[in-house]
Amino acid sequence: MAENMSVVINVNGAGREVSVEPRKTLADAIREDLGLTGTHLGCEHGVCGACTILLDGEVVRSCLMLAVQADGAEITTIEGIADGDALHPMQSAFSEYHGLQCGFCTPGMILAGIDVVSRNPDPSPQEIREEMGGNICRCTGYQKIVESVQAAAAVMSAEGGSA
Amino acid sequence: MKPAVFDYSAPESIGEALDLLAEHGSGAKVLAGGQSLVPMLNFRLARPAHLIDVNGVGSLSYISANGALRIGAMTRLTALGESGDVAGAHPVIPAAVAQIGHRAIRNRGTIGGSLAHNDPAAELPAVLMALDAEVTARSADGERVIGMQDLIEDRLFDTTLDDTELLTEIRIPAAAGSSFGFREFARRHGDFALAGVAAVITTDGSTITQAALGAFGGTHATRLPTAEAALVGAEAGDAAFAAAGAGAAADFPATSDVHGTAEYRSHLINVLTVRALKDAAGQAGGGNG
Amino acid sequence: MTTTQENRWIGVSAPRREDAPLIRGRGRYIADIEPAGTVHMAILRSPYAHARINGIDTAAAEALDGVHCVLTAADLEGIGDFPTIWRLPGQKECTTPAFAPGKARYVGEPVAAVVADSRYLAEDALDLLDVDYEILDHVVDVEAALADGAPVINEDMGDNTIIEYTFPGINALGVAGDIDGAFEEADEIVSGRFKVGRYSGVALETRGHVAEWDDLRQTLTLHSGSQVASLLRTELAAALGIPETSVRILTPNIGGAFGNQWDRYPEDILVSLASMKLCRPVKWIEDRREALQATVHGREQLQEWQLAANSDGTVLGLKGRVLSDQGAHLHSVGIGPAWVTGAAAVNQYKIANYHCDVVGVATNKTPNSTFRGFGGPEAMFGIERMMDKTARRLGIDPAELRRRNMIQADEFPYFSPGGAVYDSGNYPAALEKALEAVEYDKVREEQQSLRDQGVYRGIGIASYIHVSGFGPSAILGILDYYTGGYEGSTVKIDPHGRATLYTGMIPMGQGTETTLAQVAADHLEIDIANVRVVWGDTDQTPYTGFGSAGSRSNVAAVAVIKAIEEIKAKAVRIGAGLLEADPDDVAYADGRISVKGAEEMRSLSLADVAQQAYWAHKLPEGDQPTLEATYVYDPANFTTACGTHVAVVDVDIDTGKIDWVKYVVVDDAGTIINPLLVEGQIHGALSNGLGGAMLEEFVYDEESGQLLSSTLMDYLVPSFTDLPDFEIHHLVTPSPHTEGGFKGMGEAGCFPAAGALANAVTDALSHLGVEADQTPVTPSRLWSLIDQAGG
Repeated sequence: MAENMSVVINVNGAGREVSVEPRKTLADAIREDLGLTGTHLGCEHGVCGACTILLDGEVVRSCLMLAVQADGAEITTIEGIADGDALHPMQSAFSEYHGLQCGFCTPGMILAGIDVVSRNPDPSPQEIREEMGGNICRCTGYQKIVESVQAAAAVMSAEGGSA
Repeated sequence: MKPAVFDYSAPESIGEALDLLAEHGSGAKVLAGGQSLVPMLNFRLARPAHLIDVNGVGSLSYISANGALRIGAMTRLTALGESGDVAGAHPVIPAAVAQIGHRAIRNRGTIGGSLAHNDPAAELPAVLMALDAEVTARSADGERVIGMQDLIEDRLFDTTLDDTELLTEIRIPAAAGSSFGFREFARRHGDFALAGVAAVITTDGSTITQAALGAFGGTHATRLPTAEAALVGAEAGDAAFAAAGAGAAADFPATSDVHGTAEYRSHLINVLTVRALKDAAGQAGGGNG
Repeated sequence: MTTTQENRWIGVSAPRREDAPLIRGRGRYIADIEPAGTVHMAILRSPYAHARINGIDTAAAEALDGVHCVLTAADLEGIGDFPTIWRLPGQKECTTPAFAPGKARYVGEPVAAVVADSRYLAEDALDLLDVDYEILDHVVDVEAALADGAPVINEDMGDNTIIEYTFPGINALGVAGDIDGAFEEADEIVSGRFKVGRYSGVALETRGHVAEWDDLRQTLTLHSGSQVASLLRTELAAALGIPETSVRILTPNIGGAFGNQWDRYPEDILVSLASMKLCRPVKWIEDRREALQATVHGREQLQEWQLAANSDGTVLGLKGRVLSDQGAHLHSVGIGPAWVTGAAAVNQYKIANYHCDVVGVATNKTPNSTFRGFGGPEAMFGIERMMDKTARRLGIDPAELRRRNMIQADEFPYFSPGGAVYDSGNYPAALEKALEAVEYDKVREEQQSLRDQGVYRGIGIASYIHVSGFGPSAILGILDYYTGGYEGSTVKIDPHGRATLYTGMIPMGQGTETTLAQVAADHLEIDIANVRVVWGDTDQTPYTGFGSAGSRSNVAAVAVIKAIEEIKAKAVRIGAGLLEADPDDVAYADGRISVKGAEEMRSLSLADVAQQAYWAHKLPEGDQPTLEATYVYDPANFTTACGTHVAVVDVDIDTGKIDWVKYVVVDDAGTIINPLLVEGQIHGALSNGLGGAMLEEFVYDEESGQLLSSTLMDYLVPSFTDLPDFEIHHLVTPSPHTEGGFKGMGEAGCFPAAGALANAVTDALSHLGVEADQTPVTPSRLWSLIDQAGG
């Protein structure tokens, strides 16, 4: 076993320090060492998008990074996007438009949706489909996710900003 | 699916990275964007004793457009795809980058990592071959410049880089006055292509004066010399494009897998070559299929 | 919270109560559960399709620091296998063992297990296990498995034929039709041979368990994503040799199940056994590679059909042979899906003469078992392709051919020669509505002009029946299906008038918690906020005969309604006493108990009555204190959901690429509880159906027996750009056999999908005579058909 390394990560706005083996993936560290189990593991080879987080503001797959690589970084997980009790518009829209069923892909979908809208405030359904293609859902057939993201985009634009 | 044990170093300079490579040699693996290497670690298909993470080497990330386009090996694909300098010099590059994986992959993946990993279905090795790019490889002993053809040869998931060498820069000569087409066919948006082609041609108005075609999705990235020969000197039009398509099928090292037969892929490269050339002739964009 | 005027909740798109934690990342899935002291299990799986295991050296693994135990077949003394619970007459005996029994029969079969401090460490230990394999000849093709001299996968069976079952085509009068006569008499005989590809649910969450053996109380708590906790409890206790009363199954959030989680698996035993050995919590989370190798596959069949028709389009007879590639051994439901294929293949059509042989065949592949649709989509693919082939042969429009053969709305109940009794429906109306929605005549016209421009557009119709709400237990008995078909529900009204509903159903994403709350609130006529639903704890919830499935809410809903009827009757009796009225003059309405005609004056709230029921100071004679009821509902009949889908596609004949133009659904699932959730279920089932029609396939290498589709880069699930926007229309023909008129609907969307797609592709290429008879219709396959046809 290689020696543990200390890693300092700003997680959802708070500084945290964890001690991990170099081989530990960032996804596992988020779930096990930081206790944030909203980040899900669906494939561990970068295909499904369930482990999507924001790393310094950009979407990444946390299963394709080592925890030690996040030293000094800021990460945002699904637990960090609501403003206290107030849901992020993307979260509300997913519920309102039935953009989730089993909920397993949902944290990744919501973060990917926020990322899409942050770059394109008024995406068309086709743009949403192309931009979010890296996130897999087995339950919804995607149509209601597209509707959710569109609806959230409208709310986010009206509120004058994204996440 | 958890990685086996490895030692980990995160050098902050090229020199440090080269020293580590010199020290660990074949037992070491360079971690660039990690979008191909980390899955292999998770599957335990790659079991390096030592991982040298060069993400902290800031001097490997740059795009410079003074003269030839020079791109640092650790330039992320998102930055590559969104760079005005790159798009201005070689618009085929952003067209190709748009087809690589998905946003989350491009945010981490790097140009140097893609070349060094050399997946035969990856876009960039073939595109850079068509652009006659060169790479700089450095080791503790010095540096050398390698043409794309010589870097890739007919290898897959491997290059002619030595174990102690680090790919540091990609240099692409100007190709003023050329036009391009880029076509690939993947079963889903963002997947590795079953076949794909980047075509860069120059005409004097009607006759094709230069043609460079790079193909991917076969057993290895390759130029398509028969197709190029069919184009140079010919009138830009359906007849030349059809001849080039047939030439591409002859040149393409097609192979069978779960996604399609070799016969199908040979046919695809023909169709895609013709479509890419039509795009180039019409200065249109590109895309899947 | 949405409210309705009179607290009527059925038919309302009530928001899902499941969502709130899930959108915040506060769901609690199996991998999120980690009691103090948990250790982690990893499983060594056979890398060979067929290999004798001569020995396993575990010493190095056991010596690794942090390893707690290694399990192999040698540790299974006294441990039983899981039974195959559907045991048709003539079916050879077959069970699911915890470890490969002396030899591995498919790539991925469990060979040994390691428990260590972390999953990382457990995988390190797997690397140190040394197995002495003797590689045997393998067979991964169903026809090759039946050939003389094929390697025998289960020696005790003698050969690879597990069962040959015949549907003789018994009609309503109890006699077999005249299949030979029909074929002699017919003007045309149309043949088809279809390969239905092997694919599966591939839920985004993999399987997993956390087992906690409590040595003090001698009880086992298993946190599990099983869809059928009751059956798992029964079978797990039996396999482990401990009293069922000592086993508790707790179900957390499930990240998709799609039928695959209906089965019992080797790991259910292994993780429990390890916890019992170590007296500490043991966790096993399947990784994706394991999930593709070792969670049951579905569908794969080779079908041969012959259809006899008169030149006017009347179908006289249908006969077929279905080879079901079962994989290495029968899993929990045996050849059940293939049996359903045989039972359902006559679909919506009046086919008087029917004969079908279903053969279950063993191959060196992962077991083929429960998957959303359960044999129905396979049947619909075959028959709907046959209808199109027949239409083309006879020169009749495919819509018209269906029209001429459909069972009419006044012909229910209809006794199908497949053996099912169809309860209700209006098949022609659904067809017409679908044709109208897709603008069939217009699309046909456009098709011609587009073809002249080199655009190959095709229209594919597929109609379906979905026999759902698997039910009457007595019928399951006749089918030798060793479980019941009932669902139980307990409803308790607390002293404040709020309701708690206990169900054996397990929500897996369909919104079962919300829909059952709607049913309860609707029938109690109270605010849905005052209904709590308790699920997922076998210590609290009723035993379910059949377990949760996408199409079981209808049965569970009736159990809720029946329990509530008892509660309302009791509330009326108690209320009558309090109101000093004759119970016959008192009624339950709007959540109140009132004297009829004097509702304003002489009326009590449910809370008033409930409080009295709990005080029990003056209860009617014969009534027990408190206000609760349990009802176990055994359905009177299956329900038959039905409808028609129409797919419109463009085919790029140069690449074999299929582009969506339109997809129209007309669905009839009886009374709809929650329209928004029904739409979600149709979309999702369509995604499963079209995934298998176009992308998803477990491919095995003939030469090595290896599963080639062992990552999600090789096994392709549909993503955003692979599916169209679906246009959905409903017909509502309530089931006459169930209270409330509900029919199971969670699976129906996947039934006609592959048939509609394949018919559309075939239609697009009709000028070439290309027939899309194998799923998935991949670009490579399609192009090679086009190429062979000279296109």
